[in-house]
Amino acid sequence: MAMDSGADGQSHKAHRSRHSGASAKKKTKAKNKDQNSDQKQQNPKAFAFRSNAKAKRLQSRAVEKEQRRLHLPVIDRTYGELPPFVVVVQGPPQVGKSLLIKTLVKHYTKHNLPDVRGPITIVSGKQRRLQFVECPNDINGMIDAAKFADLALLLIDGSYGFEMETFEFLNILQVHGFPKVMGVLTHLDKFKDVKKLKKTKQRLKHRFWTEIYDGAKLFYLSGLIHGKYPKREVHNLARFISVMKFPPLSWRTSHPYILVDRFEDVTPPERVQMNSKCDRNVTLYGYLRGCNLKKGTKVHIAGVGDFSLAGVTGLSDPCPLPSAAKKKGLRDKEKLFYAPMSGLGDLLYDKDAVYININDHFVQYSKADEMGGTTNKGNKRDVGEVMVKSLQTIKNPIDEKLEKTKISLFSHNGRKRRKAIFGDGVDHSNHKSTDEENEGDEDDDGDDDNDEGENDRSNEDNESCSGSEFSDGDEEDLKSEEDGMGNISKWRASLVERASKKQNINLMQLVYGKSASTSNTATNEVKDDSENEESDDDEFFKPKGQRAKNSIEGLDGGNINTEDCSKSTKFSELKNWKEEEVYESIRDRFVTGDWSKGALRNQMSEAKTEEDDMDGDFEDLETGEKYESHQKDDSSNGEIQKEDDDAIEDRRLKKLALRAKFDAQYPFIKETDVQNGGKFHRSQANDSGYYDKLKEEIELQKQINIAELEDLDETTRLEIEGFRTGMYLRLEVHDVPFEMIEYFDPCHPILVGGIGLGEENVGYMQTRLKRHRWHKKVLKTRDPIIVSIGWRRYQTTPVYAIEDQNGRHRMLKYTPEHMHCLAMFWGPLAPPKTGVLAVQNLSDNQAAFRIIATAYVLEFNHAARIVKKIKLVGYPCKIFKKTALIKDMFTSDLEVARFEGAAIRTVSGIRGQVKKAAKEEIGNQPKKKGGQAREGIARCTFEDRILMSDIVFLRAWTQVEVPQFYNPLTTSLQPRQKTWQGMKTVAELRREHNLSIPVNKDSFYKPIERKPRKFNPLVIPKALQADLPFESKPKNISHRKRPLLEDRRAVVMEPHERKVHALVQHLQLIRNDKMKKRKLKEEQKRKDVEAQRAKDEQVLRKRRREERQGRYREQDKVKKKIRRHVEA
Amino acid sequence: MGKITYKRLKGSQNMRQRLLLATLKSTPVLIEDIHADDTLPGLRPHEISLLRLFEKLTDDCLIEINETGTKLKYKPGIIVGGSHLVHDCGVSRAIGYFLEPLILLGLFARKTLVIILKGITNDSKDPSVDTFRSTTFPLLKRFGVPSEGLKLEITSRGVSPHGGGEVHLTIPTVQHLTATMWTDEGMVKRIRGEAFTTRVSVQLGNEMIYAARGIFNRLLPDVYIASDYRKRSEAGNSPGYGISLVAETTSGCCISADTTVSYPRGDEEEDIEGEEKTELIPAADVGEKLASGLLEEIEKGGVVDSTHQGLLFLLCALCPKDVSKVRVGKLSPYGIETLREIRDFLDVQFVIKPDPSTGTVILKCWGSGMKNLSRKTT
Repeated sequence: MAMDSGADGQSHKAHRSRHSGASAKKKTKAKNKDQNSDQKQQNPKAFAFRSNAKAKRLQSRAVEKEQRRLHLPVIDRTYGELPPFVVVVQGPPQVGKSLLIKTLVKHYTKHNLPDVRGPITIVSGKQRRLQFVECPNDINGMIDAAKFADLALLLIDGSYGFEMETFEFLNILQVHGFPKVMGVLTHLDKFKDVKKLKKTKQRLKHRFWTEIYDGAKLFYLSGLIHGKYPKREVHNLARFISVMKFPPLSWRTSHPYILVDRFEDVTPPERVQMNSKCDRNVTLYGYLRGCNLKKGTKVHIAGVGDFSLAGVTGLSDPCPLPSAAKKKGLRDKEKLFYAPMSGLGDLLYDKDAVYININDHFVQYSKADEMGGTTNKGNKRDVGEVMVKSLQTIKNPIDEKLEKTKISLFSHNGRKRRKAIFGDGVDHSNHKSTDEENEGDEDDDGDDDNDEGENDRSNEDNESCSGSEFSDGDEEDLKSEEDGMGNISKWRASLVERASKKQNINLMQLVYGKSASTSNTATNEVKDDSENEESDDDEFFKPKGQRAKNSIEGLDGGNINTEDCSKSTKFSELKNWKEEEVYESIRDRFVTGDWSKGALRNQMSEAKTEEDDMDGDFEDLETGEKYESHQKDDSSNGEIQKEDDDAIEDRRLKKLALRAKFDAQYPFIKETDVQNGGKFHRSQANDSGYYDKLKEEIELQKQINIAELEDLDETTRLEIEGFRTGMYLRLEVHDVPFEMIEYFDPCHPILVGGIGLGEENVGYMQTRLKRHRWHKKVLKTRDPIIVSIGWRRYQTTPVYAIEDQNGRHRMLKYTPEHMHCLAMFWGPLAPPKTGVLAVQNLSDNQAAFRIIATAYVLEFNHAARIVKKIKLVGYPCKIFKKTALIKDMFTSDLEVARFEGAAIRTVSGIRGQVKKAAKEEIGNQPKKKGGQAREGIARCTFEDRILMSDIVFLRAWTQVEVPQFYNPLTTSLQPRQKTWQGMKTVAELRREHNLSIPVNKDSFYKPIERKPRKFNPLVIPKALQADLPFESKPKNISHRKRPLLEDRRAVVMEPHERKVHALVQHLQLIRNDKMKKRKLKEEQKRKDVEAQRAKDEQVLRKRRREERQGRYREQDKVKKKIRRHVEA
Repeated sequence: MGKITYKRLKGSQNMRQRLLLATLKSTPVLIEDIHADDTLPGLRPHEISLLRLFEKLTDDCLIEINETGTKLKYKPGIIVGGSHLVHDCGVSRAIGYFLEPLILLGLFARKTLVIILKGITNDSKDPSVDTFRSTTFPLLKRFGVPSEGLKLEITSRGVSPHGGGEVHLTIPTVQHLTATMWTDEGMVKRIRGEAFTTRVSVQLGNEMIYAARGIFNRLLPDVYIASDYRKRSEAGNSPGYGISLVAETTSGCCISADTTVSYPRGDEEEDIEGEEKTELIPAADVGEKLASGLLEEIEKGGVVDSTHQGLLFLLCALCPKDVSKVRVGKLSPYGIETLREIRDFLDVQFVIKPDPSTGTVILKCWGSGMKNLSRKTT
């Protein structure tokens, strides 16, 4: 660097470091210290392990740490070109989402985007495409967006702070497999105070980190320049996006999905004219993501429902990657982009129409059109042109348009800004979004819709040859046939060659029948025709192998009730294996035979599977001539290239396999390398051996897959593995409700997700659920909630439960406050471990956090096994010794029979058992009274005699029914502004109808009244009394009639005695009075002392608090200073 | 609850595969015209027994049969599995008939399957239980099934007509299978086998072994055939004898053949009361014929014998989304039917390429991505 700057010409004075003085000393000291710590320590022994145990502990800790770092390697089954990565831009309204997309698009493509509607695909690099999507602000849109986002840019208004939307979206993301997240702070130019700005940034960053992970990227966009974000900052942001890696998410890698970036209604117009509310046929376009899509797959259109695909076609990529450009970076011409919903892009062909988009630079008036069509800007216009244009722009009749505008007028009332509050601060500040702006936007939207429609109609009937690459080969075949008519021998040769080529397909046809190759795409029909023609030829020119297989074909039709037997050998027609030539013929299949031949057998077929098909033997029935693989030379010319490729591929595969084998055999090679450095590193290398092997295996499997799929031709490959990810597909779906078309809004991207194995079935799902801690209430069993599982969103009624110690699932009326619980509900099944998100209220006008719970699927079963406690209460109607007849517990004898042997208990704690239904004669005598026998009286035995006043309980468990209810959310079938209304909760209904909560009088808590028990006197039987000893005998002493003499006599005092008595009484009186006074005095004194003490205490406490406050303030200051230092 | 759309099928053919695949993929099926034109229309006893077995293993499955038994409605439940299960397979088909679907069902169950199957253990129509032990289990191991869990114990043998055999089967569960490239058939390095006799002389067993060895001895020295002589309670209710042979190759493929000789079932022979006991094929002939049969299987080539083709294809189709490649001999009718059922149910097609130089067929498929969904997560 220094040299460079010197070369520039301007020389700077070099820095002269101090050689003496205080600072020089300090520096040398520090240097020495550094060196000491760097190099060998003074006393290395001091830091060696002293104890064996400690060394072991440290080592095991290191190993553990290493292991914790490892994750099970994920198989990446995407082959070929990757689809564009989806960048979802999310944030509360008015935070600058559209602007960010616009500036990013501008940065990548140098095009100005008038407004952002629908996904915008952009080529951002040689190997990378991006698709920008603006996340709608309603919760449904957010949930859908989270399901297809590869990267989420969370826009946060820096001047306002976090809003609930951000946290809600983060939560949604977490549940549906956490894709990459990056925060972007905007509106930072509103801060005038730099210090405050810095502080705010700091605060927001740390809050963001707690939500994601420490060190999560938060990007700052400081203000606007000319209504756009600063170029440099956008450049940096683009750079961050371009280097980002996207780990595969498990749900998405196992399900195909398409983010629809074009949407057309292809219903025959006459049908629509007949009935404007008829079910429509629609086509959906988009890149295939996730995993391969097979033709038979059912799909779920988010917010609409499940549909089977009426047709799938692969189209040529509308926004292809630049083909292997040699130059570094992208040339301007290659900076492509594709955004049909936003009405941008270049020429576009597909099956339904051809679209020519002319850049606004070249055509003057199109710009005016795009700007809204209302401003004329004084352009000179032809009358005809205006008329045509007006015709083009109007798609809907004016009255319909009027209706639409009406809707838009009323839908936009002021939005409540939803401040995310942490701690106890409560301030709701309502910012009113500007109505005028919104309205303006709405108008623009409507007009651009029309533009699209115009394109739509222009070339509806133009059938294009989109997938022509498939049919090319066959067309050539046809051509060759026509050419060859003149020259018979040539014709025959080509036929034979073709027959040989088709042999494998023929075998497949034999097995799968003709229907295998017929498919719903138009492109394949051409091919079928050619095949049919060939089948005629096959009558004459039949490969030998096939004829042998013809016997198989006989099974095709015929009996549908054939017995299924896997054994097919018939022992009746066996060769005589005793003959020498017979058994010698398979000698090479045994180890006693020729090993080289045996090996050859395997190898040959390994390498030459492709080739072998070519040189099968054929018999020409017309000439009786045999073609025995001598045409190989002719055909080989064209095939050499292919064979070479195969050979290379094979070699590569073998190499890989060899390497894997070698690694498995010699895992210690790596180890020895590492041995030199550090003791602990060795163990790490050792551990990762298994991990590496696993990775290697996965890689090997992937290579094998690629190799095997490569050598299939395109159509077969399509049949076998389906459409590959990254392909641009056109899905045709029939019988979609017309509302989907009517309420289609390009700002709400459509997600089409493939349904996996067994996911279309409905059943009970058991999930592990936790109420979100920001949701203020606990959730009630059987209150409808809206869940989002997999691609679907639906309303269902869960029953909450908890697992007891003994594995019983006990119903809970409400979810626990801070604990996980089980939630069982009915709905379309999702595989275990799928994340579940629950929402109760979909409306946008609520300040509270809308996500009420998160969960994941544990298992699904068809029967719900949740129980709740039931207490049967009965009363004794007759008591024998320890047996009692209990009534009112059961209603019938049958019920008693069901509960025979059940444990019962009285309130006082006497345990017992149900025996049987009571017989009529015991205590239950109806016949005598002429009535019916009372049913349901049970004979029970107890461990002790019970009382008539006892209440008897039987505690049992009863099955709880989980309601079989689910209601798919059809948010795409209604105006987007309208809140979807499903089943209401009981509380909501009560509120609506002004009903009070019903109360059960018995459930009230009343003061317990317990009358004092009156016990009868003890009566001892006479016989017993007689036997008792005298001491214990009750003694009946009768009362005296006259009192005793001592009681009766009067006492008369002497005069002296009287005096003494009076004196004593006086003295006592005086003493008592004295004592009383003293007591009062003491009381007073104590009170005084206590008051004094309380006073002192108060003073002391006050002083202490002041002291403490001072100390804390001091500490805080120091801390802040340190932090500032650290940051600096 | 939405309405259920049933997949409509006809006839009793491939009942096992159809029910199995319907259960694995949880597609409801409606089968019509089951033996509709027969003198005794409707489901056969073994088919009903099979349905009962499926009902036993699954949770909340729905089976509806009309009065004549010619129409079957089957809505599969979730495969639960579990231990302490007992199933009487009846005497119209052997246990082998039930084992073939049962094994796959067990792999994708919620809990490890431990079941006792009662009935005919050895039969000439279905693969014998010995074959399952010697050939099918190694085949499963190829697809990533842990070998420790697989177990099949023959507590007693029973042959037709009265059965009386009993086997204890244990099948572990798997999260998913693993795809395999299995085209190397190798060379036969050893032949093993087992000859059994129930309620007949031991001598017959020895005769069979002797005759079979006579055929093999010209080709391979490493032949060992064990004899299994069952007595009393272990011998079931009917007399019979049989032999099963396995040829193991250098690449670990097992090719098997088995047969059993016993008196035919009563129901078939009831009208011919006169000649009550038809003569059985002599033991020496049985041994010789089966040995020849095994050699024919070896001659056909492929990594499995013709009996196991169907199972092999099913396993390939149930793999995760990877390519499997296998080589088999001439496609057996059962194999072809299985391929068709796989196409219909799982939407998996095989690429079938003949290999004329060896007379074998190479099949390739892209697995359906089947995962064990019923397993509970912790």
